[in-house]
Amino acid sequence: MPVPNSKSINLLPKSVRKLLNWLQFWRGLGMLFLALCVCMLLMPLRLTGLAIGDIAPNWLLIWLVSFSLNRPVVVATIMGMAIGLVHDALTIPQELTASVPSHVWGMVLISGLTALLQKQRYLREDFISVALIVFGMTVIAETAIAIQWSFLSFTGKYDLGQIWTQQQRIALVSALVSGLWAPVLHFPLTRLRIPQLDNRP
Amino acid sequence: MEAVRRWWDRYAGQLLIALVALILAIAFRYSNGSLWLEVYQFLSRPWQSPASQQLLLEEAKVRELRYRIQELEMQNSQLRQMLSLPFTLSTQSTWAQIIGRSADAWWQQVIISKGSRDGITAGAIATGAGGLVGRISDTSPHSSRVLLISDPSSSVGVVVSRSRALGILRGQAQGVGVLEFLDRDPDAKVGDIIATSSFSSLYPEGLPVGRIRSINLNHQPAPEAVVEFSAPIPALEFVKVYARPQ
Repeated sequence: MPVPNSKSINLLPKSVRKLLNWLQFWRGLGMLFLALCVCMLLMPLRLTGLAIGDIAPNWLLIWLVSFSLNRPVVVATIMGMAIGLVHDALTIPQELTASVPSHVWGMVLISGLTALLQKQRYLREDFISVALIVFGMTVIAETAIAIQWSFLSFTGKYDLGQIWTQQQRIALVSALVSGLWAPVLHFPLTRLRIPQLDNRP
Repeated sequence: MEAVRRWWDRYAGQLLIALVALILAIAFRYSNGSLWLEVYQFLSRPWQSPASQQLLLEEAKVRELRYRIQELEMQNSQLRQMLSLPFTLSTQSTWAQIIGRSADAWWQQVIISKGSRDGITAGAIATGAGGLVGRISDTSPHSSRVLLISDPSSSVGVVVSRSRALGILRGQAQGVGVLEFLDRDPDAKVGDIIATSSFSSLYPEGLPVGRIRSINLNHQPAPEAVVEFSAPIPALEFVKVYARPQ
């Protein structure tokens, strides 16, 4: 459905305007949800060209960063918590739930940071900065996981040295592929942004 | 107060959406992503194919049989002294196609195209051409997730086929595992074949696992060996799932 420009909207009766707004709102929300579903289904795929050495882009993280840009910190962190839980559900074996790292901490941290970053206007919203933000945030998220594994290594089951060698590999490669693929998801999503969900005056 | 009210007017909608998302995510977390497994399985259906006989002709299968024969011969001589085996591989088995990999680089998992409707339960054993691959960790009606033996959180009680030296094999996330011997001075050398031991509570005895690639007897606190898995895990397309050992 083409979105009428603001001038022509003002000419319409109030009830029709309300309906249009309402439609736009649900379309935007629907697209966000649809994009999230696509991201979840992309997670277990290792397509040639998409993954480097068995490490694929972290699509959920890209979605979260894209959502958190330009949003209040509270909203972003709640969504971070939700995405962290979703990522846990996709990876953690049921029998190990209580004894392995959760994605929630990392996701809450990066969504909050992303929301703050934009507020301070350190970075503009363009092709390069989105890729850079995702690169940095992936490193932070993977490090948060590695720190949790390090605490678990005191139980003697995991090897501290191995965790950090793995952290270097995972954080770097994952940040690289996620950063490269971030604009692919981010730009369609920003195009579909809707006034009511957005923080524009 | 006015500022709070203005913030509320502006962001109440977003806050509500985020809270609804959080509630949905909690429900999703409790279901351990089984809806996601189902949808993923359904969408990948066009790329799935039934297991073929040709699979049995693969080179890795021959290697598995060779390992298994050597293991059985050793076991046979030991059996005379034993009263009974703790448990053996179930006779019920099914082939399943690998349709996805782990959703996170920290975990070594695969997603397969059979689930609880096909009789698969958590704890079932997955083997592939070449030997042991992993165990089923989660199931949904038509799909399940396998925690691979190459995952750092998986540990398998193993035995050196030739000398019966016992150890615990842990994944290293990169196609090799580290075998920590229980004995101070184990009788093991490069090239020895490793199989699951009768002391393993999660795996049946005598499944081929891999081969010792290098060994470090001076490692503290226990001697260690690097083991390469006999199943070519990154290249596998099918796994055979055996019902959970009783």
